Amino acid sequence: MGSHSKGVPAPDHGPVDWSAEDKVKIDEIFQRYPERRAGLLPVLWLAQQKWGWLSESVIRRVGLTLGLPPSDVLAVASFYTMFKKEPTGRYVLQVCHTLSCALRGADQIVSYLEGKLQIDPHTGHSPDGMFKLERVECLASCGSAPMMQVDEHFYELLTPQKIDEILDGFKSGRPLPTPRPEADQWTWNRVS
Amino acid sequence: MEPRILTARWNVPDVHNIDTAMRHGAWRALPMALKRAPADVTNEVKNSGLRGRGGAGFPTGMKWTFVPPVEKRGGKPVYLVCNADESEPGTFKDRYLMWKDPHMFVEGCVISAYATGAERVYIYLRGEFAFIQRRVDAAIAQARAKGFIGKNILGSGANIEVYTHLGAGAYICGEETALLSSLEGGRGQPKLKPPFPAVEGAWRCPTIVNNVETMAAVTWILEHGAAEYRKFGTEKSPGTKLFSCSGHIRKPGVYEVALGYPMTSLIENECGGLYPGRTLKAVIPGGSSVPIMTPEEVSKSTMDYESINTVAGSYLGSGGLIVMDDTTDLVDSLTNLLRFYAHESCGQCTPCREGCGWMFKVLQRVKSGEATDLDLATLKDLADNIFGRTICFFGPSAAMPVQSFLKKFPDEFFGRVHRTGQVSYANIGAAAPAAR
Amino acid sequence: MPTVKINGQEVVVPDGVNMIEAAAQLGVEIPHYCYHPHLSIAGNCRMCLVDIEAGGRGPDIACNMKARDGLAIRTDTAQVKQMRKSVMEFLLANHPLDCPICDQAGECRLQDYYMDYGQYESRLVDAKVAKPKRQDIGDHIVLDSERCVACSRCVRFGDEVTKTGELRLFNRTDHTEIGIFPGERLKHQYQGVLADICPVGALTNKDFRFAKRVWYLKETESVCNGCATGCNIFVCHENGGVFRYLPRRNDAVNKSWMCDVGRADYAEVNSTRRMARAQVGGKPVTVDAAVQAALNLLRSGDPAQVAVVFGAQATNEANFGLLRIVQDLLPRASIYICEGNNPGASAYHDQLLVSPDKNPNSVGARVIAATKGDVGSRSDLIAGLKGGSIKVLLVLEDDVLGRLKLDSQGARIVYVGAWRNDTAAAAEVVLPAAHSVEQDGSFTNADGRAQRLRRSVLPLGDSLPAWQLLDKLAAAMGRPLGFSMGAVAFKRLAEGVPAFAGLSYQSLGGGGAALPKSALSDSETFPTEAVTTQMRLNASV
Repeated sequence: MGSHSKGVPAPDHGPVDWSAEDKVKIDEIFQRYPERRAGLLPVLWLAQQKWGWLSESVIRRVGLTLGLPPSDVLAVASFYTMFKKEPTGRYVLQVCHTLSCALRGADQIVSYLEGKLQIDPHTGHSPDGMFKLERVECLASCGSAPMMQVDEHFYELLTPQKIDEILDGFKSGRPLPTPRPEADQWTWNRVS
Repeated sequence: MEPRILTARWNVPDVHNIDTAMRHGAWRALPMALKRAPADVTNEVKNSGLRGRGGAGFPTGMKWTFVPPVEKRGGKPVYLVCNADESEPGTFKDRYLMWKDPHMFVEGCVISAYATGAERVYIYLRGEFAFIQRRVDAAIAQARAKGFIGKNILGSGANIEVYTHLGAGAYICGEETALLSSLEGGRGQPKLKPPFPAVEGAWRCPTIVNNVETMAAVTWILEHGAAEYRKFGTEKSPGTKLFSCSGHIRKPGVYEVALGYPMTSLIENECGGLYPGRTLKAVIPGGSSVPIMTPEEVSKSTMDYESINTVAGSYLGSGGLIVMDDTTDLVDSLTNLLRFYAHESCGQCTPCREGCGWMFKVLQRVKSGEATDLDLATLKDLADNIFGRTICFFGPSAAMPVQSFLKKFPDEFFGRVHRTGQVSYANIGAAAPAAR
Repeated sequence: MPTVKINGQEVVVPDGVNMIEAAAQLGVEIPHYCYHPHLSIAGNCRMCLVDIEAGGRGPDIACNMKARDGLAIRTDTAQVKQMRKSVMEFLLANHPLDCPICDQAGECRLQDYYMDYGQYESRLVDAKVAKPKRQDIGDHIVLDSERCVACSRCVRFGDEVTKTGELRLFNRTDHTEIGIFPGERLKHQYQGVLADICPVGALTNKDFRFAKRVWYLKETESVCNGCATGCNIFVCHENGGVFRYLPRRNDAVNKSWMCDVGRADYAEVNSTRRMARAQVGGKPVTVDAAVQAALNLLRSGDPAQVAVVFGAQATNEANFGLLRIVQDLLPRASIYICEGNNPGASAYHDQLLVSPDKNPNSVGARVIAATKGDVGSRSDLIAGLKGGSIKVLLVLEDDVLGRLKLDSQGARIVYVGAWRNDTAAAAEVVLPAAHSVEQDGSFTNADGRAQRLRRSVLPLGDSLPAWQLLDKLAAAMGRPLGFSMGAVAFKRLAEGVPAFAGLSYQSLGGGGAALPKSALSDSETFPTEAVTTQMRLNASV
């Protein structure tokens, strides 16, 4: 990463630029901080939301916006797992598999998804490319394990049946609402 | 009396909206604090004995006093940063605190900013909390509309702005100086100390970094007073704490108890106890980074900063209680944790960068049955060589699980390896070949 | 000036030094990778961990530890030894076994520190992390990301010194990888420095790749002749061949850096552009024969029509020799210094090290020539040649005809120089001068610092140091200078030119000595500003 790949040209957006609206947002971002550089993560998020993933062209654009060399921007982006350095399917299913979730069956959830979506072990994608399955580390949802994150949303207390519902929601284009009631109402401080 | 300091409003629907929140007591503490001198507010927090609830347990009021006085700041502004990067495995209480009752901790941020002289507060949320950031942003906007945030708050002359800032997926950004590096727009790499953040932190200015739960506690303390706070908890660990309870228990969740509460009671009562027919095998009391505890140690410990350390050599940490019953494969569990640390190391300093990945690889072989007892000696030695040699606390966080699992459950590990006979736990240190 | 204790021994150190430097003062080595005296503190290698006996809590890194009263550290404890071993073990865990093919071998900190502080048996069973090797990231540098120990020296150099920031550490964990942005290349003129500061073989010099094992090389101290900055260098040579230059630390001149242009000069020492034989009328002759011919030429005709050009590319000693010849033997000759750069000189200059003046000894030549007084400028020289008042020209190491873009205008030329150029081609007599690395001598840099050259290899062919050639010429003309060796020549210089009073090779030492400021403004005939502008203009040609 960061240096030369062997012969295969990476996919890229081609030269990109912000819209007038984006520029207003970006100015507002810079206003929040005493130094321009602190706007880098917010601007990278904006870029990812706009262009889907951070290709070389997008990185260059962010570099120009921040006044930083593209190497610097890429060095920062490559540090964080949530910044995508390559395109993915529309739905990235990030299943937590750290200890607390593992103790409550996360590995079985992963296996279930792998089978149900016929995930290719090399690319992590389903055959139609719509879904990507990722194992991720602790999402601060240990009390409602096992669970997964898709886009911004947490889908918790997963069972195979719930997973089926959730996937059907994605496939039909109508994802289930989150937070889902049972996830929000699990027990806390309820001493009977 | 079950304590309802931090969770007081969690049952109230819609309490993330300010009008509901205020009907239930939110934003009462701030006007009271603003009528007092900032140093007075700091003293109140000091007297309460509140300790940082993120994991380090450092006395909050004392931390605030490390900010240099105005005349020694060279004109630099003070920043307050709220650490909402909750990523410690087993910990999820800040998530719920922010989701259920954002106004409580936001109010605490404003009060703390006032006390420390900060004019800007940055709430750094982990990247995966984008949905929570929206709610917190809404709460901040509502508070601003009511004049609790912004210029000349409630006519006090205090100017305090509050912003949220989203990370992008890195556990290390929960370490305060790595958080600051990330906030400044860089890789989440911890900074060398000295200088310490209170003197030279964000943008080289005095910076106080406090946890979300700590901020919420400050609000309560300023409304009710240090003496009231001290009615809960113990002498050295006053107040209450949120415990994130997970693992093999019937009722995983976030529970607020007074410090000093017996660990067994927490597991049996609030957590609903183990599943039928299961017995307790081990507990990690304070998030994955702290040493594991045996059932015997659990039975003797109370949930406070002192007891867990004295009894088990472990720590209260972030209060992430992970309960493991007899169905647990501890080799698998430790391998799982080291995969986490190997994935999250920032890569800056040598022992952690190379050592975490190495320990994980050794453990994978232990788990798959391809290791020998010499590998266990190597494993322990690697952990010992990381501990105390690194830039930040991540090193010990990765080392302590390895050291404690091996020390307290040696049979689990020795039973999984080919025995050359050269190593047993008793001589594991001496037998470690190389690097000696 | 705090007092600290290291291994029980007290030492007083300057304010603000760290404990690595303090220990070095006592001759105690604290091993390190990421620390560099001219870069910011990174503190990531952890090799410099020391025990703290008093005044702090240890163990802690020495590079980030400021010396202060009451601080006592130990580097000789069992724990320190063990810490160093374990850091070595961690560094080598994912490091490829490239020693047999790695240029760094012999000057590699992993090798050196392993021998000094490692010496353990490997217990690594698992696979190493692989990363891209052998990447062409610049005209002068090859990158091998697998060998990198993530010390970040190259990153800091790019951020803090060249301010170009190309090299970065990407990713995290043990997949942290040094690299540049895809498709970009290093463009600055200090790429060689990256290979110098890289403690391992991750960044290596393309030019030196597989050229010579470093343990065969001798290192001799000298000064670069590429421009007026006078970066201190090591000339690395074996058996008369020069294989590379390395920068030599001089905090007052070039810190630890040198530019790529100067660095590339090592290949010029024995290039075919050198004049290795004396010539008369274009035919090779012995040096003595050429000296005789020069003598005859200089004595022919009207002494007032002889012009002498002092050499900004020649040593102080050579310029002084020329001065003595003028004073004693050619008193009616007019003297000149031709400002500007030789044709073909690099146009590059910057705010860092590279001067627009591509002559290593402009100041020396000026100050020495001014002793005689009435030094003419290039325009005077042009006028004299074109007007016909100059019939005989004695030129010291300067391609005047190339610079002035003139032909000889009928003047007869004695050329003392090292390189084939327009002046050498037009000269009737050529006395072949040695390259700066082939002689003892000295240059005076743009700041007026006189710095020593030490001979590393013998002069090519029949060439000799210019001061030695002039000594022969003076002797042939009846007034020997007595320059038996460079040190003696310099001594005479110190006696004969007030600006150099009191100096000797000994007092120059390794770091040079500054001439008094008053001596440097001795330039009424060509104010510095105009010279600079003129030189910049010429440089752009």
